[in-house]
Amino acid sequence: MPFTLLVNGVQYSVDAEPETPLLWALRDSIGLTGTKYGCGIGQCGACTVLMDGAAVRSCFMQASRAVGRKITTIEGLSSDGSHPVQLAWKEFDVPQCGYCQSGQILTAVALLEKKPKPSDADIDAQMTNACRCGTYHRIRQAIHRAAALRG
Amino acid sequence: MSEKTPENRTDMDRREFLTTTAAVGGAMVLGFWMPPSAHAANVPVAPTPWYREATVPEINAWITIAPDDTVTIRVGQTELGTGVFTANPMMIAEELQCDWKKVRAEYASANRDAREKAPEWTLKVPGNGETDPAGAAPVELANANGVYRRMIIHSSGNVRESRYYLQLAGAEARERLLLAAATEWGVPVSELVAKDSVITHAKSKRRTTYGAIAAKAARTPLPDPSKIKIKTPDKYTLLGTEQKSLDTPLKVSGEAVYGIDIRLPGMLYAAAKACAVWGGDVKSYDFDRIRNMPGVHSVVRLPFDASTKGVGFLCGGVAVVADSWWRAKTALDALPIEWNYGSGAGVNSASLYDLHLATAKQPGEAKTNDGNVDEAMARAAKVVEAVYSVPFSPRARMEPGNATVLVTDNRVDIWSGDQDPQGLLRKTAKLTGIAPENVYIHSTFQGGGYGSNGNGPQGEQAVAIANALRGRPVKMLWTREEDWGTGTRYRPMSVCLMKAGLDAQGWPLAMEVRHATTWNLGDMGYRGLSAPPYFIPNYRLTIHAPKTHVPIGTRRGTGAAPNGFYMESFIDELANIAGKDPYMYRRELILRNPDEPKRGIGGFVHRDDFVRALDMVAKMSGWGTPLPEGWARGIAIDDRRRPTRTTSTICAQVHTVEVTKRGQLTLHRVDVVFEQGFALMNPLSVRKQIEGQIAWGYDDTMYQATTIEDGHAVERSFDKFPVSRMNEYPKQINIQFMKTNRWITGAGEEAIPQIPPAILSAVFKITGKRFRSIPLKNHDLSWG
Repeated sequence: MPFTLLVNGVQYSVDAEPETPLLWALRDSIGLTGTKYGCGIGQCGACTVLMDGAAVRSCFMQASRAVGRKITTIEGLSSDGSHPVQLAWKEFDVPQCGYCQSGQILTAVALLEKKPKPSDADIDAQMTNACRCGTYHRIRQAIHRAAALRG
Repeated sequence: MSEKTPENRTDMDRREFLTTTAAVGGAMVLGFWMPPSAHAANVPVAPTPWYREATVPEINAWITIAPDDTVTIRVGQTELGTGVFTANPMMIAEELQCDWKKVRAEYASANRDAREKAPEWTLKVPGNGETDPAGAAPVELANANGVYRRMIIHSSGNVRESRYYLQLAGAEARERLLLAAATEWGVPVSELVAKDSVITHAKSKRRTTYGAIAAKAARTPLPDPSKIKIKTPDKYTLLGTEQKSLDTPLKVSGEAVYGIDIRLPGMLYAAAKACAVWGGDVKSYDFDRIRNMPGVHSVVRLPFDASTKGVGFLCGGVAVVADSWWRAKTALDALPIEWNYGSGAGVNSASLYDLHLATAKQPGEAKTNDGNVDEAMARAAKVVEAVYSVPFSPRARMEPGNATVLVTDNRVDIWSGDQDPQGLLRKTAKLTGIAPENVYIHSTFQGGGYGSNGNGPQGEQAVAIANALRGRPVKMLWTREEDWGTGTRYRPMSVCLMKAGLDAQGWPLAMEVRHATTWNLGDMGYRGLSAPPYFIPNYRLTIHAPKTHVPIGTRRGTGAAPNGFYMESFIDELANIAGKDPYMYRRELILRNPDEPKRGIGGFVHRDDFVRALDMVAKMSGWGTPLPEGWARGIAIDDRRRPTRTTSTICAQVHTVEVTKRGQLTLHRVDVVFEQGFALMNPLSVRKQIEGQIAWGYDDTMYQATTIEDGHAVERSFDKFPVSRMNEYPKQINIQFMKTNRWITGAGEEAIPQIPPAILSAVFKITGKRFRSIPLKNHDLSWG
């Protein structure tokens, strides 16, 4: 029985079992592949999306639980890479392999919504996504820069 | 808000795809060929090779120039985070003298490489090796004579191996553009100047652009290209400047296409499970139990026989194929499978450690035997012995292994991020019986690599599945557990017995190193140990080779990482026993080397630069200045020199560490001196590499290990195999580059070996505890 998901302002009809993780509904049913699969157990954060503005790990959440909620994926952050967090990420040339960066960016967006001027301690507490390339040094600088860009 | 059907990126022909990607992605195009009709299965053979764009003149195999001056540069190696998509175009653009702002990168074709040879005049390496600014020191090109030469990416070798032929490619194209313009204007080519994609003739005040003259240049061969000389570093204008990665805009917008992101019309999905004990195979499985689950299409057996062992399978398995990956995985989880675990099933980490220790005590193969170790040891004032070890560890990349494959009767297409596209092409031909010339690899970005053959048989498994389903494209994707626990190859466990005889002042008279490791790939077991930088008049290294069933592969840091840990930590022990500062103790032992030492395999030849690096890093870090209670600095140096090669990259580090009395460790600050040699191609990229290696080496030191239990890997996901996060990354990183008069080895893994010994040295100073094995999570760091 198909169900409907509201993703990046668009209603998508998804034909999948309702217990399918939101991640796979986004990637394989809807075709939004910017959200990545890393572990499937909610640990690494590569699958992070925003649900009603809060960062959630989509690999560990049934798609049916997202019905009626507002989902934002990396594709929905801006049409041209101009979101302040994306601009800051480009300024500090953060990514290496880049695989975890969609999740890192969305986690940072959620952090800045809650704490517009985050301290290093705030960043340490919120940025729990894994990056195997070790881009943390630049992520930290980019978050501070994004906070400044937001004004 | 509108109702929309799910998008399908492949419902467009190649040109549309490229255009779309370029438009949304900024200055880059990915060279994907996509089947032009709606159903891929019907269009396995494109009428012309995908890489020929009739409207865009190709100057040579590496470069096309469009009428609007857009220069597209092809990159042979896979971008897995090391910066090749930027550094390689820079090496070409330096010589081409084009406008960098109009450069984009796309992947070169491994298929074209299999069909077309590199021009004869490009095969000879110019100059006189790594000490010649006009030279180069590649060591892996002997059999890389296809048009795209060395496409494998490993051993920090991208710049070392590729620089000269990429510079030649850029220079050849520049000369052809100039010759075309000179011919058109009827003036001597020597009177023309090329800069930022513009060619000018001052005398006649004429000017043209690369885009305008490209079509003519494509038809203008040089009379004698072998006369081309590549630029020396003093002439660089683009190389050596900090350039942001060309792929960054795609990676912050979600548009970068990784192997896992490929979607083709009519595509099926496969989830695979191989025997958890390497060398084992499937005994039986019961397809009837899952046949009627939603979306299930079929089960494909992955045999473990001569045909699959020959292409890198580590064990046998099965794959469930369905109409979505989640359905395939769900059905695979429900599939009853009986396994033949084979002879590896009785093995565990403790038995493997015992085996290594016992083997180290047996006679081994001497790699270095300088002086008379036994005689010197007998007259030593003090003999020091220590047992060091590291556990098995995977590369643990983020993107689980995958590949999307379409096999038809006369052609194979593979979409994948793979560190060795040429190897995958050859193995695909073997598996399918289809000629290499008809195998097409469409490279994608790769979500981390960290060791070429550590990727495991991701592509080969996918080919085997697609070969069983000819005519249907299949995306095979491993679960995280499958990727880390079954599909990968490991940095091996090793045990190293260190023994030194010291004189009355604590200086070494003799040292004996007995290293037991299954790392039989080249010199992995003895690089970094065969010719230490420290003057030890009598020195013997033997290697000892136990046999295990655990698959061994390259892993970032290679053999230099464990070997550097052993040597640097043991030297730290000796300094402490001698009552000397570990920085000054190292400095003295390095200075004791003669001017031109040739000891051990490969010898140690960089005495003065080693001392310079140590002095620089000590000064940077404030070595010797007071720190709070519970804090200390540790120092280490290594050059990842290989016994069989002459190149090196010196890197010295100081780690400033805090350990609380309860044993909580914090790495506060890291100071790094990194050799730049004659020049770094893109110093920004090297900085990023070093910053990342700090996290990598820290994780090795603190957490990472694969435990073997009943023959299989225990740690198969992030819950048991920790990867450090933001809160553990040091708040202060200082990096200084050190100029030397040679070309360096590379920058992808040269800052890793120093990290465990530097941290452990500081831990010893704080706690008084000497740890000789990593990771530290297995040890109690409390003190006081």
